[in-house]
Amino acid sequence: MIKLRGISKSFGRQQVLNHIDLTVTKGEVVVILGPSGSGKTTLLRCVNYLEKPSSGEIAIGDFSVNCKHARKKEIHQLRQKTAMVFQQYNLFRHKTALENVMEGLLVVKKLPKEDARKRSIALLEKVGLGSKLDAYPSQLSGGQQQRVGIARALAMEPEVILFDEPTSALDPELVGEVLAVIRKIAKEGITMIVVTHEMSFARDVANHVVFMDGGLIVEEGTPVEVFNHPREERTKQFLKRITPELNYSI
Amino acid sequence: MGEPFDFSYVWSFLPKLLSTLSTTLLIVVSSLLAGIIVGFIVALPRLYKVPVLRTLSEIYISFFRGTPILIQLFLFYYGLPEILKLVQVDVTRAPVLVFVILTYGLHTGAYMSEMIRASVTAVDKGQVEAAYAAGMTGYQAFTRIVLPQALAIAVPVFSNLVIALLKDTSLAFTLGVMEMTGKAQTLGAVTQHFIETYIALALIYLVISFSIEKLLGMAEHRLLRHEDRNSPVKKTFGIHRNRSYRRIIAEMESGKGGVGL
Repeated sequence: MIKLRGISKSFGRQQVLNHIDLTVTKGEVVVILGPSGSGKTTLLRCVNYLEKPSSGEIAIGDFSVNCKHARKKEIHQLRQKTAMVFQQYNLFRHKTALENVMEGLLVVKKLPKEDARKRSIALLEKVGLGSKLDAYPSQLSGGQQQRVGIARALAMEPEVILFDEPTSALDPELVGEVLAVIRKIAKEGITMIVVTHEMSFARDVANHVVFMDGGLIVEEGTPVEVFNHPREERTKQFLKRITPELNYSI
Repeated sequence: MGEPFDFSYVWSFLPKLLSTLSTTLLIVVSSLLAGIIVGFIVALPRLYKVPVLRTLSEIYISFFRGTPILIQLFLFYYGLPEILKLVQVDVTRAPVLVFVILTYGLHTGAYMSEMIRASVTAVDKGQVEAAYAAGMTGYQAFTRIVLPQALAIAVPVFSNLVIALLKDTSLAFTLGVMEMTGKAQTLGAVTQHFIETYIALALIYLVISFSIEKLLGMAEHRLLRHEDRNSPVKKTFGIHRNRSYRRIIAEMESGKGGVGL
């Protein structure tokens, strides 16, 4: 279980996150929606401290960090409990697909090489890249790179995987293969927080939808609640803009 | 000038000049080592944006890139002992080579620091974030992710710097150091076959430069094996694309010959 309490973040004088509270139960798939600049990516990056929150508390299981005085060691521990899939994949370009997945296992988890190798191969097979073990990122398509990114995140066996717009940088015809993989691992009961603009994906896969605007959580609930019966005016407007063909006023 | 031209002298001068090759190489290698260390120290404040030290680094780099190496040699050889005399330190008896290596080391260090800075910043920041997100420490992320890629990016610039340094060492003769150019001057004066000595000298520099370029080219090829040269994207741009974009950026940012910042 993940608990964010009173997370605030400002860049200079601009407050990007304003006392965000969010609880994610184990096995839940949380989708965060919102217009650009609403702070959703920043919130996600605060969870693993790629962005340092100005204040608040992050708790994963019984481990918690107070952001006012987080120590290096605590941040390091927090990061080991999370994994992230990036918009731009961010694969290590000088390493093969297999080495990318193995890297964290060897360096952070200190697994013996043979174990790390076996586990990484199994994961790459799972994301459908069993034949691309020795390919460098430059030899892979965007969709394939992102699937390696997902395998790399899975390898660390984190308590939660954070997806930062995982399909936004992809060509439209490659989005499907990546979403299919995310769907597959969502069904296995891995806790995920996903920032995305893929509405149909959010509808199908999410258990919990969060709508953010202006650094605040405006509305949250099940997909049916948020998509079909939005209570807040801002949510309605946003959904109308994103999917104009649907009428949400019912 | 001197005796009539006789090409056979070129061959006989070669071994004589090569006898001083070790001095030239000693200057090159020592200055390179000093340059790399100084370069790192100078690059760090700029990479990590340390307030005061950063400005000092910039002044240092401006000075060494903005003044001729010959003037720097004179300043260090004639000026430094005078300044040190003021604080009661006597270095007038120190060997000339020490001043030469010090000057070339600091000179190269300025260029090295620019090379290091450009190469490290050329590695995309997203990969560092990915390393942190996986739970790596700053040190692990730097040594395992940034450094190997920065090295590959730095090689072409490094190659230019080594060759430039090799040729710059020819100025050490002005302080009376018996390296290859110094030896050539004496040989010319003694035999009156100046042109032949300079041809022999040029040949030696050429061969060494060429070997350095080839060796480092191989190293670069090996370090960049992950950047697929036959990937479909690059193919569409034809042969003109076989120099990677990042490499060109790296060369532009700290190629030898730039002045100031």
